[in-house]
Amino acid sequence: MAILRKDLIRELRTREMLISMILFVLLAMVIFHYAFTVKEGADLTYFTGGMLWVTFIFAMLLGLNRSFAQEKDERCLDGLLLCPVDRVTIFLAKTAGNLIFLLIVQVVAVPVFTLFFVQRSYVADLLPFVVVLLLADVGICALGTLLATISMNTRSRDLLLPIIFLPLIVPVLIAATGATTLIFAEGAGLGGLLARVLFLLGFDVVFIVAAYGTYDFAIGE
Amino acid sequence: MKQLVSAPALFVEAGICLILGLLLAFLYAPVDASTMGYSQKIFFYHAPIAETALVAFSVAFVAAILYLRSQDPKWDRLGVVCVRLGLLFSVLVMATGMIWGKAAWGTWWDWEPRLTTFLLVCFLYVAYFVLRSAVEEEQRRATYAAIFAIIAFIDVPITFFATRFLPAGMHPTVITIGGTGMPGSMFVSFFISMIGMTLLLVALIRRDLGVEELKDRVADLKNTIGG
Repeated sequence: MAILRKDLIRELRTREMLISMILFVLLAMVIFHYAFTVKEGADLTYFTGGMLWVTFIFAMLLGLNRSFAQEKDERCLDGLLLCPVDRVTIFLAKTAGNLIFLLIVQVVAVPVFTLFFVQRSYVADLLPFVVVLLLADVGICALGTLLATISMNTRSRDLLLPIIFLPLIVPVLIAATGATTLIFAEGAGLGGLLARVLFLLGFDVVFIVAAYGTYDFAIGE
Repeated sequence: MKQLVSAPALFVEAGICLILGLLLAFLYAPVDASTMGYSQKIFFYHAPIAETALVAFSVAFVAAILYLRSQDPKWDRLGVVCVRLGLLFSVLVMATGMIWGKAAWGTWWDWEPRLTTFLLVCFLYVAYFVLRSAVEEEQRRATYAAIFAIIAFIDVPITFFATRFLPAGMHPTVITIGGTGMPGSMFVSFFISMIGMTLLLVALIRRDLGVEELKDRVADLKNTIGG
């Protein structure tokens, strides 16, 4: 808990990570707009789910690199490791911290993307949307935190993270994009999304357990 | 020392099985009755290679767990060797799959669950080697590689399952729980090819393990002389 608080306080004081992540998201939206508007008045509703998740995953990559670069640069991590806490606690705190940052980014990004791209209202399906969002976020953050811990201890650091993170996160991307697109474009309720929601839940459980089992080794001596 | 790097008997056995499988595939097994005709013969290589790649990654997965438990470098060596061979076989699966796809479906590539999964498998295990090359310290490299091998192996079936959410593809499901859906003569040829390919994998693993061991020994000797 204290680690989570420390990360949050630190970020709220400097705001450097959040501001760049949010700016990145807005810029990505503009880029997507130009990249996908292939003809006058094209309806981008069907693409919005994909755009959102691509943006979140890349924004998360930025965030993950920062969250550990700070620890490494100032040698804070050594201090953390000296604390009399279970290593797995560090993992949970870091994951929670990253999850909060991702959620803040999403609070900004989702309304903006909706406003610009989605041409029908999905207010009635807000609940399933939030469920999908949260489940996918937990998976992204748990796996991301574990891999970022590994990559920051290597020579290539932030260069390595996307290479090991992106292929592993594909299942989440497929399920989350599919579910989000169904909500945006066709207004599918929780019943129509059940298979994908259960899948995301399964992914979260499997990788939290896997990270739980291996984090001790990942964070090192 | 020589014994370490060569396992000729196994290679010979694997070769005999593979050639026999190929002969049976063409001379004994019936020509496919549907539209595929002779192009279906590549199945006798394609499927065994795919199966062998999965066996290699499974062994790497077990080796990774054993490494994390014991920190014994021999498990790390087994892991590297298996991932390397698994990757090689995965590339071959894609190559034979693409050739067959072109012949049977008229297209080199189809975003279909199995093809897509194998493509991701290739990316994953290439990343495994990128990760290894980014860590200098030996023990840490082995530990990270083991963690990644475990996570990658868990991720593969999940990815395969996820691709089912995509619009349906063209790949046939040959072996189901109910049976193989193959006529007997086809099954015999297929089975022999599969044994041959698996023997080839075992032979290659043994040879590569020998090479890796020699490499380590050379490194040790160099250190002794240098130090």
